[in-house]
Amino acid sequence: MSERIKTARYPKLEHFSEPNVITTTADFIFSWARSHSVFPFTYGLACCAIEMLTSGFARYDIARYGMEVFRPTPRQCDLMIVAGTVNEKMAPVLKRLYDQMSEPKWVISMGACATSGGPFYDGYNVVNGVDKVVPVDVYIPGCPPRPEALFQGLLELQGKIQQYKFVPEKPAPLAADAPASDVAPATADAAPAGEV
Amino acid sequence: MGLQVGSNPMSMDAIAALLAERFAGDLEDVRIQEPDTIVARCAREKLLDVAARLKADADAGYETLNWIAGVDRRTSFESIYHLYSWKTNTWFELRVDVPRAEPEVDTVTGVWPAADWHERESWDMVGIVYVGHPDLRRILLKDDFVGHPLRKDYVDLAENHPHV
Repeated sequence: MSERIKTARYPKLEHFSEPNVITTTADFIFSWARSHSVFPFTYGLACCAIEMLTSGFARYDIARYGMEVFRPTPRQCDLMIVAGTVNEKMAPVLKRLYDQMSEPKWVISMGACATSGGPFYDGYNVVNGVDKVVPVDVYIPGCPPRPEALFQGLLELQGKIQQYKFVPEKPAPLAADAPASDVAPATADAAPAGEV
Repeated sequence: MGLQVGSNPMSMDAIAALLAERFAGDLEDVRIQEPDTIVARCAREKLLDVAARLKADADAGYETLNWIAGVDRRTSFESIYHLYSWKTNTWFELRVDVPRAEPEVDTVTGVWPAADWHERESWDMVGIVYVGHPDLRRILLKDDFVGHPLRKDYVDLAENHPHV
């Protein structure tokens, strides 16, 4: 488990005793709530979808992480779990469905195929990784990944969601001689400040 | 008795002999493939005639077309029709050679309407043109795909991979 998940500040029970008041930051409470009510999009493309569905059933029970509400329409979702091989015919559809999801939204690339094309890397109709089409937040290796691996990815995503800030941070002053292109590009790991 | 699935009133040898006699000169290499399939070849010029007669045969009619396979034999293509007979509960594999230089064969959609999508798939993947097909366009690959990927000489093209 990653360091940022271990150090996440969860409200403890004694915080809810008398006088029933807790003090915290808006960033924390909204991110905490948001990271525990992720609505995944039912987007099974191949055999990884079997593991994704298994994760939803009682034996593994994705509801433990507050992510059990799989939705069939992208407009009600904020997480797209790309579970399976993305082929060239499906790629424009995937992009369109991703565009229909409301912000903020995240993408999990589940399995070797969605990550890089996997065993079908040289295929005549295979996209070598869904990150060629949409931005990916978490990659899960495996062929297919077990439900435990999917949960690991979901926990990593929760850790990432909890870094989101609702108030934009004051940007660092620019060095006088620094060219504009060198100004702190947002990397995939950095929390985009102020994005709501 | 009517149709009864699972009953085979004729032996495989009898069916093969019957077909070889009735289709003498049209079907070549009639042989039995265990346990319940008869394999035969047919010239592509005679395909429509043979198909109609095979379907209409009173004793061993193959009423059902289950699927069509397009095969690249390197020297030529092959269009294989997998038929099923409810009368005798047997399968029939009708093989038609299609030359590489002119990969055309008559459509059998007029005989078995089920051939529609299977011929589209065979054209999509192997590039066998089914002359007279009502709607011969791609069915599995995207519409602007270039080439036929299950041909042995297919080379992966950059224009088929716009997402790089």
